[in-house]
Amino acid sequence: MIEIKNLVKRYGNLVALDHLNLDIQEGEIFGLLGPNGSGKTTAISCMLALLKYDKGTIRIFGKEMSPDSYDIKQQIGIVLQNVAVFEELTVYENIDYFCGLYIKDKARRGQLVKEAISFAGLEDYTKMRPKKLSGGLLRRLNIACGIAHKPRLIIMDEPTVAVDPQSRNKILEGILELNRQGSTIIYTSHYMEEVEQICTRIAILDRGRTIAVGTKEELKEMIKTGETITIEAVILDDAQLKDIRSLPHVFDAKYENQILTLRCTGAKHNLIRILHYLEEKEVTFGRVFSELPTLNDVFLEITGKQLRD
Amino acid sequence: MTVFKGYMKIIKYNRWLIFMYLAIFFGVTIMFQAATGNEEQNAYQAHSVSIALVGEEDGSFLGAFEEYLGKFHEVKRMEEDTAFLQEELFYRNIEYIVRIPDNFYETCIKNREKLSVTKIPGSYTAFYVDEQINSFLNNARVYDAAGFSEEETAQALGEMETGQVEMRNAGKNAGEVPSYAFYYRYLPYLYMAVLCYVLGNVLSAFRRGDLPRRMKACAVSARRQSMEGFLAAAVMGAGLWIFSISVSFLFYRGSLAENGSLGYRLINSLLLLAVSLALAYFVGFITKDSSALNGIVNVLSLGMSFLCGVFVPLEYMSAGVKRTAQFLPVYWYETVNDILTEYGTITEQVKIRIYQAFGIQLAFAVALVCMTLAVAKKKKA
Repeated sequence: MIEIKNLVKRYGNLVALDHLNLDIQEGEIFGLLGPNGSGKTTAISCMLALLKYDKGTIRIFGKEMSPDSYDIKQQIGIVLQNVAVFEELTVYENIDYFCGLYIKDKARRGQLVKEAISFAGLEDYTKMRPKKLSGGLLRRLNIACGIAHKPRLIIMDEPTVAVDPQSRNKILEGILELNRQGSTIIYTSHYMEEVEQICTRIAILDRGRTIAVGTKEELKEMIKTGETITIEAVILDDAQLKDIRSLPHVFDAKYENQILTLRCTGAKHNLIRILHYLEEKEVTFGRVFSELPTLNDVFLEITGKQLRD
Repeated sequence: MTVFKGYMKIIKYNRWLIFMYLAIFFGVTIMFQAATGNEEQNAYQAHSVSIALVGEEDGSFLGAFEEYLGKFHEVKRMEEDTAFLQEELFYRNIEYIVRIPDNFYETCIKNREKLSVTKIPGSYTAFYVDEQINSFLNNARVYDAAGFSEEETAQALGEMETGQVEMRNAGKNAGEVPSYAFYYRYLPYLYMAVLCYVLGNVLSAFRRGDLPRRMKACAVSARRQSMEGFLAAAVMGAGLWIFSISVSFLFYRGSLAENGSLGYRLINSLLLLAVSLALAYFVGFITKDSSALNGIVNVLSLGMSFLCGVFVPLEYMSAGVKRTAQFLPVYWYETVNDILTEYGTITEQVKIRIYQAFGIQLAFAVALVCMTLAVAKKKKA
């Protein structure tokens, strides 16, 4: 459905996209994950022909995308990072206006607007102006404006930034529902939990390049980390730390501020082994966590830095 | 026409702003019209003086004299009663007393003796009556010298036409400022304030946050969006123009229709509208938010209004201010407005001045459009 090949975008000397390659299939919820400045928004802007790029090709629905590709744009809905609605219009008028940019037939548009209002849970706010809406409702309005015309492809650029957890869950549920209704979704975020929760395939971006693409399981299989164990309020000497590092399947150990973080390969009983060792050495400790690998671990292992750096 | 409808909805949202400026405009027009509307007209009005003729004489010559003064003034015959006459003079019931001597014709015409008069000291109306009496007596003396008898002189003076003075100035409007001239003088403030504020707000609404990106990514071409935006601005401008002109017809229906300058006034106001629309678009493009817009619109609308003869007529402006104002479009609108107010009949020479001012206004509108396009292009790049 979307094919991006060797996309290069420069801002002066800064390379925002460095030979980016993506292949997105119809029906997917495709996540673009990366830290701030990794090129997610630039990639989206190039896809929508909002930015001119220096090199490469973008094909959407099998056609080359250009600023004049209105037949392609007709089938795309966008939800931008910043809320993009008219403060002067009511909730209903805003959705009707943006839907009207795609749907000319008044009766059909009226129906679609109603459905979008219902989808976003804005039935009680149709006559209100955006200034009177809470942050979460405003985000939902932003989404309703982007999807009201029932597009084949929906591009969402960090739609949950600065949204309370309740609204965030509602938005994520809505995205899954849109996908079930047949829309392909491109979802950018730097919240790995969200991407893990809803995306069927994920591309991890760093410095304008795709560093890994696959399902979340595939991505996690790419890395060594099988389990991360964190032990708080533990006091260790150098010898004990050396012993811990040499335990089976532990390949990385960090000890800072009395917090021990161990990264182990995906073997069984890692936690039991370390707890036995501490008991044996009569070392006291506080809370203990064992976590399965996250996309942050994937990012960390591939780039050597945290996703939120 | 979704974009057009969007513009119109945001214009509708700003309707209270439009009503506020309309109220200010009509308030200022009515206030200034009431304060200065008849000033120049009064300056040239004839003045009638209350004159008392005192004496027993009752000849034909006195009759002619009384008839002559009666053409200009209110003349009363009174008896000689010094106390009563002084009182009447004190209370300004009479302003001028003429004592008719016995044998009036013999005494004043043949013997050329002076006529005894009492008047309010320092009064310019008394001086006016002095001149008229002297004129009458001198004419009588001329007839007498020519051999006319008292009766013949009286008859000749009675038949003499009084010279009618018609106040004319180069402009043929007899110094009168028609009341609709004030209305048209203040139009620039209305047009600039309303269009710059409202269109500025509409344009800045379309450029707020990520809205330009959303609009650019939609299925309506950028060209069509611009055209629908221009159409909405034109509809708003046309609405404002039709409303303001209709109100002027409603208020000044008779005098506007009588005047031959109506067509020029309409063209002038249309050109002003074009300049105001172009300026509003330019302001809308360069301002980022509504607070900046408020500042810029106030400076532009009030600044141009004060400098270019909207609130203070151009004739009271110093040469330096006028020279500066020539670089502003409203100056040329007011120039045409003043010409049309001053000249009742538009001669070929006057037409040239009007067409020049029209041309300059048009050039300002075109220049502002070019500047807006340049700014838009730069922003796009």
